[in-house]
Amino acid sequence: MTNVRAWGKAFAVIAFAAFTSVWAQPTPSEAPVRLRFVCWDGDEAAQALKSELKRFEAAHPNIKVKFEANNYSNYFEKLLTQFAADVAPDVVMIDPANFQRFSRRGALLPLNQFFDQAPDDVAPRFDINTYYPSIVDAHSLDGNLYVLPRDIAPIAVVYFNKRMFREIGLEQPPADWSWDFEPRPELGNRDFLTLLKRFQKVNDVGKVVQWGYVPGWQDLLTDLFVFGQGARYTDDPKDPKKMLFDDPRVMRAFQFSADLTLKDRLMPSSFDQAGTNARQMFTQQRVAMFHSGIWETPQLRKELNQETDPKKPPRYTFEWNIAIAPAYADGTRAYPTGGSGYGIMAKTRHPKEAWLLTQWMAGGPGMLAMARAGIAQPAIKPLALAEPWIPGPNTPIDQQVPANRIITDQAEAYVVFAPTGLLWNEVNSIARQPVGTVYTGDAQAKDVLPASNRIAQDRLDTLRREMNLPAFNWPLGAAVGLAIGAALIYWVYRPEFGKHRSVRERRENWAGYLFILPWLLGVLFFTAGPMIFSLLMSVSDWDIITPARFRGFGNYAEAFTIDPTFWVSLRVTLLYTLISVPAGIVIALALALLLNTKVRGIALWRTCYYIPAMASPIAGSLIWLKLFQPEGGLLNSLIFGPEGKGGIPFLQSLFAPLVGANGQINWLQNEKTALGSFIFMSIFGAGGGMVILLAALQGVPQYFYEAATLDGAGPWKRFRNVTVPLISPALFFSLITGFIGSFQVFTNAYQMTQGGPNNATMFFMLHTYNNAFRILRMGYASALAWVLFFVVLIFTIIQLQGNRYVHYEGAER
Amino acid sequence: MVQAETRTGMSHAQAQRSAQLASASSAGARIATLLVLLVGAVVFLVPFYVMVAISLKTKAELGATDIWSWPQNPTFENFRTVLSNPNVSFPRFLQNTFVISTLSTLGVLFSSSVVAYAFARLKFAGRDRLFLVLLATMMLPGIVTMIPTYVLFAKLGWVNSFLPLTVPAWFGGGAFNIFLLRQFYLGIPRELDEAAFLDGANYWTIFSRIILPLSGPALATVGIFAFMYNWKDFMGPLLYLNDPELQTNELGLSTYNALQSAQWELIMAGSVIVMVPLVVLFFIGQRYFIKGIVMTGGK
Repeated sequence: MTNVRAWGKAFAVIAFAAFTSVWAQPTPSEAPVRLRFVCWDGDEAAQALKSELKRFEAAHPNIKVKFEANNYSNYFEKLLTQFAADVAPDVVMIDPANFQRFSRRGALLPLNQFFDQAPDDVAPRFDINTYYPSIVDAHSLDGNLYVLPRDIAPIAVVYFNKRMFREIGLEQPPADWSWDFEPRPELGNRDFLTLLKRFQKVNDVGKVVQWGYVPGWQDLLTDLFVFGQGARYTDDPKDPKKMLFDDPRVMRAFQFSADLTLKDRLMPSSFDQAGTNARQMFTQQRVAMFHSGIWETPQLRKELNQETDPKKPPRYTFEWNIAIAPAYADGTRAYPTGGSGYGIMAKTRHPKEAWLLTQWMAGGPGMLAMARAGIAQPAIKPLALAEPWIPGPNTPIDQQVPANRIITDQAEAYVVFAPTGLLWNEVNSIARQPVGTVYTGDAQAKDVLPASNRIAQDRLDTLRREMNLPAFNWPLGAAVGLAIGAALIYWVYRPEFGKHRSVRERRENWAGYLFILPWLLGVLFFTAGPMIFSLLMSVSDWDIITPARFRGFGNYAEAFTIDPTFWVSLRVTLLYTLISVPAGIVIALALALLLNTKVRGIALWRTCYYIPAMASPIAGSLIWLKLFQPEGGLLNSLIFGPEGKGGIPFLQSLFAPLVGANGQINWLQNEKTALGSFIFMSIFGAGGGMVILLAALQGVPQYFYEAATLDGAGPWKRFRNVTVPLISPALFFSLITGFIGSFQVFTNAYQMTQGGPNNATMFFMLHTYNNAFRILRMGYASALAWVLFFVVLIFTIIQLQGNRYVHYEGAER
Repeated sequence: MVQAETRTGMSHAQAQRSAQLASASSAGARIATLLVLLVGAVVFLVPFYVMVAISLKTKAELGATDIWSWPQNPTFENFRTVLSNPNVSFPRFLQNTFVISTLSTLGVLFSSSVVAYAFARLKFAGRDRLFLVLLATMMLPGIVTMIPTYVLFAKLGWVNSFLPLTVPAWFGGGAFNIFLLRQFYLGIPRELDEAAFLDGANYWTIFSRIILPLSGPALATVGIFAFMYNWKDFMGPLLYLNDPELQTNELGLSTYNALQSAQWELIMAGSVIVMVPLVVLFFIGQRYFIKGIVMTGGK
């Protein structure tokens, strides 16, 4: 007894310590203004930014800046959600593609009000006209500038390997090179396709070992082909009304991009890159040209520099420089572009100081810092034409390569910004849904793009229509909620009406309620209350920033009739559940039966099988990513042998129809195998069920088996008539919890495939999460949640009917 | 022992001997079983073997060798690189995860035992129907309450802190845990209570002095499961922990993976770092663990 007391005291001490460590914060002193500054730059740029921030702090002693770097993939979602939760930073990095998500919700301060501020000692007179007009315009709406541009990054930079060029007799790509859909050998090296062919080297088994060109990502090349023809993806980039993915020029560009890798084999596909990326192919000298933006420079310098002594000048593995990307055959130059800047979040408590910081980092000082590190081209034209951006006599030796940085200014005249409209991100990803299958050769662009374009167009039209909905009637909603709550309370207490209680009974009553008070509060605030609130939200359209609007059953109608992902995700989840749960139980049972024989070292076996079930979910996802990797992954190495030789012929013929264009199976990126891969992974969690079933098996008294044997029962009959009924409670339990659990699969899908390819692994929970926290459609997501609730409810009720098959020993009813 | 006539005319002793023979002559079956178990165990553990192997390889070796090969010269340099990354602090993740898990587990232990006691021992108005409500909440998919509770915490200003992950544990501690403990309490003889009443004890004394000390194993089970659940939680931290300094193991590893794009040797080193505490915990607490599963699954 005292043990428990002692432990109790120990825990109390630990709890107290933990509480204080969590809540005790040093009280901020009055004087310095604290600003939070957030960006998505990687390691290299982060260093440059941090030192520049220190210089800013030195020049402004009353301001302290906290620096945060998040990764780009969920950067904006996080920011929006932070804004919704009122924990947003002060100065944030934004790019043109995403600023409207903030400006239209009133989340960014228009900056024009600061332009004419009297300069202080430190801040120079501000002149917006020194900035490149293209990027200023890309960040503006209705005359208001929301983001002060920091850099512009025309994605027209082709890094090239001088050694490989000299091998074919050239110093660099020809300045006037151009591309066309068919090779034009009469132009010689000035024709993109002809030049690429000259670099291609094949080994004796027919594998291409040297390529001419690789884009940083395949869509980049497609953009080049689309823009070069003068086509676009939508009619009005700032307020899209029409989707143009079914434009024949656009479709031709997608197909051309896919054919370059698959048919003509002039460009490595993502598969050929084999677990590396495009940049690494360049540094490993497997490709002569690497097309991306200037931001790759610091990483390239690091990876190519063989000199370990930082004081000595760099020695690069090979000589390299940059050239401007080719124009289209008719002379049109048009390049996609990046670019970014800093904005001020609307709820900042220190707008003036935030402006000083913004102006510093997106002005001369900040830009020069980035330029010195070779990371970003300044958005102020005079700075982009001078040192340190353009290498000159004063440039340190480790920043002189690549030398040809003047092309970044040349390319600026031809940049095409991606559409920035508020609704663009969502409809763009809908339209691009099948692009992955085009790039893997599983589909033709002209077959799939018109369909996805139509779906995207419908969605766009719907969204535009829904800009006008009535406001949500919260008082009415509250009344409805209270009514439901009252009904529930009535149901609970109805049998108690008219009961009389003795004094003692009343005492017990009070005590009971005191004891369950935590649970009652919990039900109110964290279970029943939220459920009712969720019901209300499911008939609304709400992003928790702007006021809610009433949508009636619109969310449900949209889910069932309009949202293509809804049915897909339902199907994916049901398929997954119906296969993996029974399979998992069967395997768990088999393992448990095996372990139930008197085998030595049972504890060790149990541990071995249980470890995958209790492993860290994310670590598990990551290692499986590696195991499923197309080239060099474990499964493919087993089936096809390492390096593509050997392997198991039986399995090769079994899986033959799944093999992709490159001789191996891309488990997670192939629509047909992706879900199967997830099901395969789930089997490894069978250890959890195994332990439960083993415990149940061990609880079966031996005499039952003996009696059955006496009655002449063979092993199978014993299993069926003795084992199964006696462990049926555990089986039943595993089945029900298995179903409920697998309907909510999330982590693997989130970490490994994000629902792709083409929604093959878009589990329902992921779809709901995306709607709630990616695009902040809380109302719609709530409706989705309720749909799932009903599906689970139906399943559970069906299963509970099976309760009569379960044999309870010593009934506890 | 009754020498009854059985259906097949065998005597009891004969049947026993036949069963023994059956098991002995399948020494072959024993070996086959062991073999199957061995193969199965190898298959199940392959992912972790590969994880550790990759984490011990250098980048160069990784690109040059097969995925399943053990490194020629295992090196810990990847671990050093991961642990010294200035932007991502794995020790910090460990600390945060520990704090959150501990606070939550304490909350679960306290509140579920208190509530379970009332459901098991006390009569109060509406008890049976409230218990049905409890059962119903057990089957609730978390997703229905996830969104409104997020809105609640957002409006309260609790986002980006540990509060949303630790406070709810103190209010009920999970319907399943209440259910489990209630089952356990029902098995404790009432005579103990009654004796205590005669001695003038009140309900709280009975709970704290009699019931609680006897529920050691059940509490250990609930505690261990709650701790592990919180340790492995990804969704909660994903929603509520924005600051890199507040992140937990799972979330931090995910962030690290996004920052390191395809540098597998580092990512695997990070994964191993995150997994080690769990495995250690499992070995230490194995006894309670298995005992606990015996109790949950059997009922």
